[in-house]
Amino acid sequence: MNKEEYQQLIADYLAGTLTSEQQKQMEELLASGEIDFIDFKAMEQLHEQMDLVYVPEPTAEMSARFYAMLEKEKEASSGKAILNIVHWLRSALEYVTFPRLAYAFSFMVIGAFAGNWLGPNHDRIEQLTNEVQTMQQVMMVSMLEGPSTTDRLRAVNISAQLPEVDETAIQALLFTLNNDPSVNVRVQSIEALARWGDNPLVREGLVRSIIFQESDIVIVTLADAMVELGVSNAAQEFQRLINEKELAGVTKNKVESTIAAL
Amino acid sequence: MMKVKDGDFDKLGLLFERHNRALFSFFYRKTFDSQLSEDLVQSVFERMLKYRATYTGSGTFTTWMFSIARNAHIDHYRKEKRRKEDEILDEERIVADIPSGYAEMNERKKQKILLERALEQLTDDKKEVLILSRFEGLRYQEIAEIQGVSESAVKVRMFRAMKDLKEIVTTLSEEFSDE
Repeated sequence: MNKEEYQQLIADYLAGTLTSEQQKQMEELLASGEIDFIDFKAMEQLHEQMDLVYVPEPTAEMSARFYAMLEKEKEASSGKAILNIVHWLRSALEYVTFPRLAYAFSFMVIGAFAGNWLGPNHDRIEQLTNEVQTMQQVMMVSMLEGPSTTDRLRAVNISAQLPEVDETAIQALLFTLNNDPSVNVRVQSIEALARWGDNPLVREGLVRSIIFQESDIVIVTLADAMVELGVSNAAQEFQRLINEKELAGVTKNKVESTIAAL
Repeated sequence: MMKVKDGDFDKLGLLFERHNRALFSFFYRKTFDSQLSEDLVQSVFERMLKYRATYTGSGTFTTWMFSIARNAHIDHYRKEKRRKEDEILDEERIVADIPSGYAEMNERKKQKILLERALEQLTDDKKEVLILSRFEGLRYQEIAEIQGVSESAVKVRMFRAMKDLKEIVTTLSEEFSDE
């Protein structure tokens, strides 16, 4: 058993998750002196004493602020519903290269929903907004798969206007980052994905994409994004990139400084 | 959270009532600053609304919540340009003002002060594992998801956090007793 395995065993002991077999293994290691008994007991005692660490109660102001924010969001979301629809229609009209059929279909669906659902009922407006956002995402994913570089760039830009994205849209952007022949599109997709940097799927996808990159500009953009988002586990992948690929001097320096920063 | 995602914002109030104390404790043990901890709790719930579409329900809500909390804390320190300093742990940092009346305190009070001072001086990643495991009761696998590392790495980090904590407590105890 190596040093890290001892350490993991002790960590499991502290969390109270040792299996009976591990318990037996631990007793043997303590009995043989391979795990220092005095050190181990001191650590166990300290772990138990951690309850002494004092945490004050939050003030009533924290709750007041939260509920004020919630009320404001509720009001804003009802007001935004109609504006979002108008904004999206205006944006959609700008993308004249997208097949007319898609527009016609979008208008037909919006018309059908508006006819059926628009009214004084607040829930219906919210539902319609959600439907429009879903359609925006579908449109974005379709455009990302198109042959035109301009359309793909526009698709990435659409994602920047979306208040939310689902897993399909994130996967489409990550696929674009790893496979698009255009450097511009790949760079734009990193910037678009970075907006959703709180999402674990995005963080993991960006880290995984590091090893696939060949372009210096894309690597440098990705390095900046990783530092900006504080994705510390990206350092290993950047190290792998240096080991496995011959990078230009400036790019290599940038990657090395990124590893140090992470 | 799925109902919040579907537009039922009132359900966020229930989540706030259920989790605000845990989040506040998480931030307080990281920062030892009440006002900042309250600000960060507010930031977490704002982000939950902003990024509600990213919640898929595939993992536990607690894991998702602490991932957001972790990012809120990182973003705060990035803005303040203090994160780097906070992650440095060396002998020079194990220097602390001696609490007034330390010599007259009982052993329990002394140990409490030593633990709080020592926790303050742990590196951020180790402190985080310790807080999430020991105080918030998260499993190592969940912490691994939050920190974006393997479960084994979290266990090793936990062991090293306890080892560092023990060493810092010993050093501080000697310093305070010498005075």
